[in-house]
Amino acid sequence: MKALTFSLFALLSIASVRAEDITVKVNGMVCSLCAQGIQKKFKAISSVQEIKVDLSSKLVSIKTQNANDLADDKIKTIITEAGYNVASIERK
Amino acid sequence: MRAVGIYLFIFFMTASNLVLAHPVIYGGGKVVSSFNMPSYSDNQLMYSMTSKWASGLNHWRFTKEGRNTELGLARLNHLLYRYNGEDSQANFYLLSGVGIVDAELETKGTREAYMGGFETDWESRTLFVALKHYQFTSPSLFDLGMTQARVGFSPSETPFDQLQTWFMLQAMYMPETDRTVMLTPLLRFFYHNVLWEVGSSTRGEWMANLMVHF
Repeated sequence: MKALTFSLFALLSIASVRAEDITVKVNGMVCSLCAQGIQKKFKAISSVQEIKVDLSSKLVSIKTQNANDLADDKIKTIITEAGYNVASIERK
Repeated sequence: MRAVGIYLFIFFMTASNLVLAHPVIYGGGKVVSSFNMPSYSDNQLMYSMTSKWASGLNHWRFTKEGRNTELGLARLNHLLYRYNGEDSQANFYLLSGVGIVDAELETKGTREAYMGGFETDWESRTLFVALKHYQFTSPSLFDLGMTQARVGFSPSETPFDQLQTWFMLQAMYMPETDRTVMLTPLLRFFYHNVLWEVGSSTRGEWMANLMVHF
């Protein structure tokens, strides 16, 4: 029983510390100069390891250190403060 | 003393060559911009408190037949409406300013001045149209309107972190300085957070503009 509990704890710990890839589709993101604000805002977050902006697909790809480091509400707030709208958020 | 203050302000703005163009950017963002032609210049240093409001400093110079009128303004801009489409964006901004004018275009004098205006644009990754109007006034001393329209296109959809090139045509009308519409074909480039433009008008006036977001 003790071993089972330990295994479950270990599994949960591994799951919570694995990196997470978040893909955000952003409406209105047509100008690279203006979209610099999105990159700047996400780069300022310590748990964000990598941020990529793709104007062709209107996607912002964010890699975080740990799963659940960046909640959907936080992402929506950052995108909105940068002047854009979030169309969808996907996590892997 | 008042005149010294005005000249110090104007000197600072001119010497630092700061001017601004995007009326409001992302919250916490700063913009310096400088828009220059022989007949006028517009220099701005702006700070966006939010993605809807920005304030800052603005210096204008208008030149006609060797005479200059200069304004130093404290500015407040508001993004009244933004449309974020899947492949395009449209904006409508309200522009305002209050400060001091040192006029010599028609009547000579120095006193308080006000500016009101609007700017609207629509852009996709390869097309751009914009219209803006400024109205400057100083009671019984100075009145000047400026209307600018632009259309532009980019020959390719350049990736986010590469040099972007746009071909544009600007039409400008300032009836108090010239009754004709001045057309200026120009090239716009931007790379990362820096935008610059160069052009030459149908009157032979050069244009050189610079804007930096940070």
